[in-house]
Amino acid sequence: MKRGWLGCSLLLAWLALLAVPAWAELTLRDDRGVTLHFDRPPQRIVSLLPSLTEAVCALDACSRLVGVDRYSDWPARVLKLPRLGGLDDVQIERTLALKPDLVLMSSSERVSERLQALGLKVMVLDSQTHADVQRTLVLLARMLGEPAKGELLWVAIQQQIGSAAARVPARLRGRKVYYEVDPTPFAASEDSFIGQTLKRLGMGNAVPAAMGSFPALNPEYVVRAQPDIIMSGRAELATMAARPGWSGLRALRQHQTCGFDTAASYLLVRPGPRLGEAAMLLADCLAALPPLR
Amino acid sequence: MTLRVDGVSARLGGREVLSDVHCTLAPGWTAVVGPNGAGKSTLLRVLAGLLPASAGAVQLEGWPLLQWPARERARRIAWLAQQADVSGDLTVRETVQLGRLPQLGLLAAPGAADAAAVHAAMQITECGPWQHRRLHELSGGERQRVLLARALATEAPVLLLDEPTTHLDAPHQVALARLFRRLAASHTVVTVLHDLPLALHADRLLLLVDGRKRAEGAFDDDTLHAALTAAFGGAIRIVWQRGRPMALPDLGLDP
Amino acid sequence: MNAELVDSRRRRRLVTGMLLAALLLSALGLMVGSEHLGWADLGRADAQLIIGRIRAPRTLGAFGVGALFGLAGAIAQGLFRNPLADPYLLGSAAGASLAVVLVLAGGALLGRHVGSVNLAWLRQLGLVTAAFGGALGGVLLTLVLARGAQQTLRLLLAGVVVGVVLGACGDLLTTWSPAALRGRQTFMLGSTAFLDWAGVGWLFGGLLLALPFSGRLARALDALSLGEDSASSLGLNLPRLRLLLVLLLALCTGLAVSQAGLVAFVGLVSPHLVRRFAPSAHGFTLPASAVAGGVLMLAADVLARGLIAPQELPVGVLTAVLGGGYLLWLLHRRGAMR
Repeated sequence: MKRGWLGCSLLLAWLALLAVPAWAELTLRDDRGVTLHFDRPPQRIVSLLPSLTEAVCALDACSRLVGVDRYSDWPARVLKLPRLGGLDDVQIERTLALKPDLVLMSSSERVSERLQALGLKVMVLDSQTHADVQRTLVLLARMLGEPAKGELLWVAIQQQIGSAAARVPARLRGRKVYYEVDPTPFAASEDSFIGQTLKRLGMGNAVPAAMGSFPALNPEYVVRAQPDIIMSGRAELATMAARPGWSGLRALRQHQTCGFDTAASYLLVRPGPRLGEAAMLLADCLAALPPLR
Repeated sequence: MTLRVDGVSARLGGREVLSDVHCTLAPGWTAVVGPNGAGKSTLLRVLAGLLPASAGAVQLEGWPLLQWPARERARRIAWLAQQADVSGDLTVRETVQLGRLPQLGLLAAPGAADAAAVHAAMQITECGPWQHRRLHELSGGERQRVLLARALATEAPVLLLDEPTTHLDAPHQVALARLFRRLAASHTVVTVLHDLPLALHADRLLLLVDGRKRAEGAFDDDTLHAALTAAFGGAIRIVWQRGRPMALPDLGLDP
Repeated sequence: MNAELVDSRRRRRLVTGMLLAALLLSALGLMVGSEHLGWADLGRADAQLIIGRIRAPRTLGAFGVGALFGLAGAIAQGLFRNPLADPYLLGSAAGASLAVVLVLAGGALLGRHVGSVNLAWLRQLGLVTAAFGGALGGVLLTLVLARGAQQTLRLLLAGVVVGVVLGACGDLLTTWSPAALRGRQTFMLGSTAFLDWAGVGWLFGGLLLALPFSGRLARALDALSLGEDSASSLGLNLPRLRLLLVLLLALCTGLAVSQAGLVAFVGLVSPHLVRRFAPSAHGFTLPASAVAGGVLMLAADVLARGLIAPQELPVGVLTAVLGGGYLLWLLHRRGAMR
């Protein structure tokens, strides 16, 4: 059933590719609702968000990147590119000197305004959910002149997520996961892309969608919610039991925890083309959980 | 220029500090005396328009004091604070020049008349030599003289001076007393003085005790002297010397 | 006579020194940046763009921001008769910060309704307008709370309360919206990176209005230094004057903060610098503090760009180091003299 669905999508995509005429002028709307006009696909791209860097490279346009932000680190070749600072403290001068014909970033009003005022073309893309990621990939693919690749990439990601789901042991289906993004604590709810991936893996979430995508929780809430599985950075996990009241969490006592190292944590919080890989990471961890006594 | 005080009471921090004070302050030198906490400084503040009376009224030249526009009032009444509350980097000259504010306002440039008034004020108080030194570099007594000069520079006909001689040495105290005597001819000088011997050189004395007027009279008035002795709890004795009353501290040591 | 000459010579030296420093730093400001541009490069269009539209407005803007802070600081210290007063005392910082958070969070809450209020319109406002409005709003709230400028102490207390309450509101909003949190951090640190020619126009327009106006109030500030009652007895309408001074303070701070965020120390230190080298009456101190603030901010901006080029340091860190360092040195000298 799944194979059939995959085959259909591939066929459709290939047909779509055939149907597209030679590259013509393109008009796209970014997430601000701003219309951007392209005479031809951009050749010099600056990306100020790691997930957007990854998306461009996943769409085989890595060679077109001329500058990235300081947090972009995948694939390894982008480490050699000029690093232009974070999102809010971008080095305007340096960005300008690179003469990009497109700047990709997520919302930061002052930066986008300033760059636009200086004559640069800015595209703002914000991804919070899986649907956002799909839309972004498709948009970027169209912009890069390879419209089919976006859907293809998304299909591949879905396939990866599917295989990841298959790896999750049946006994864990429906168990509530608490994914902690930050020790404040900030958690990933059902609504976030992390939460959605977990849902695809057949897991439940201790934090409902009503609380927002990445809500800041009252630690009390987590204690009351008694999640079945806790996922967090390795370092935070080590000291989690010391938090007031958290030693009572049965997930901690029964070692139903997933601790991710720094590289894995970064991977998991990026709503980009490596969603599938992220799903695999999660599934591998879940599969390795000790059975409950 | 006359100040009339009609049944004035004043409250400070919820407490009544002045009660039903009646007096008339006419041209001449009036010394306001009394034990600590009698309300002397408060009376001066009310006279200067800095503290509204809770009852009664003060009249300046027949008009209610607080109905005068602030600047007009400032041209007629100069007030000197008991404690110098000075900050900043002003020089002596700049400080005395501030006394011309009521005349000049915030914007007008000082003219010849202003320069003359400033010069005169500094001469009288003997501040001239240090006119370019900063106020905060001076000693307490020197600073007091400068602030007095500031009050004099306003050329106001009414001078309300709260303890103008506290930090001064004897020669300067005497010099000031002489100054007040001179000014008394044409000004209404009201000074709060702790120093009773000095106060007895004034034309009139006003005795306040616990916020009420206990006595008032010319410097040689016997009734006044009796009231003074009583008010100070027998700590002073008034004797006559060379035709003038003198107040002497009485330690109760009799031979 | 001698002392007078010394004073005026000190004043002249200070002004000349500061103007020279300003010129020198401005020239540096055009030369320093993440890109290395030599004389030969000047013909290229992109070099001209960088120098003309990034470095030049940024350099001038930094001076303007610093000047406004310096002037505001001098006014605050004269008004409150306290050498530790700074322009942020009356709730302007907290107000601007909250407004920035509202706009950022409004953008994030787009599509959702908080209660029955749609916050989408907040996004249209723009951060600059919001920061300015917020700064003024904070001060107005302080004035309302203190029931006008009747008493200085009440004004100060109200300012503290407003600062704390508005700060807490901002904190609350940032817990709902991580994007707002990030933006708020940047705002609170201060940045000269986004100054453009429009901003320079606003800054210098504001300065051109504020300086003469403050000059007219200089004598009042001098009178205030004699003590509030003495100033009152000289015929000054203190509540009205205080209100005017507070509004002037709010305008200067609001303008500067809206363009560059909450830069630390410039307002506090500039009057001290002037007092240290040429103590004077307010007629000199006010404009001199403005120039001093401008120079200080210029120096911080140039250092921010140049110290670890091509990377940049946040300008707020440098003003804290320069300004705070100077204060520490002052304290040390005071202690040593005792």
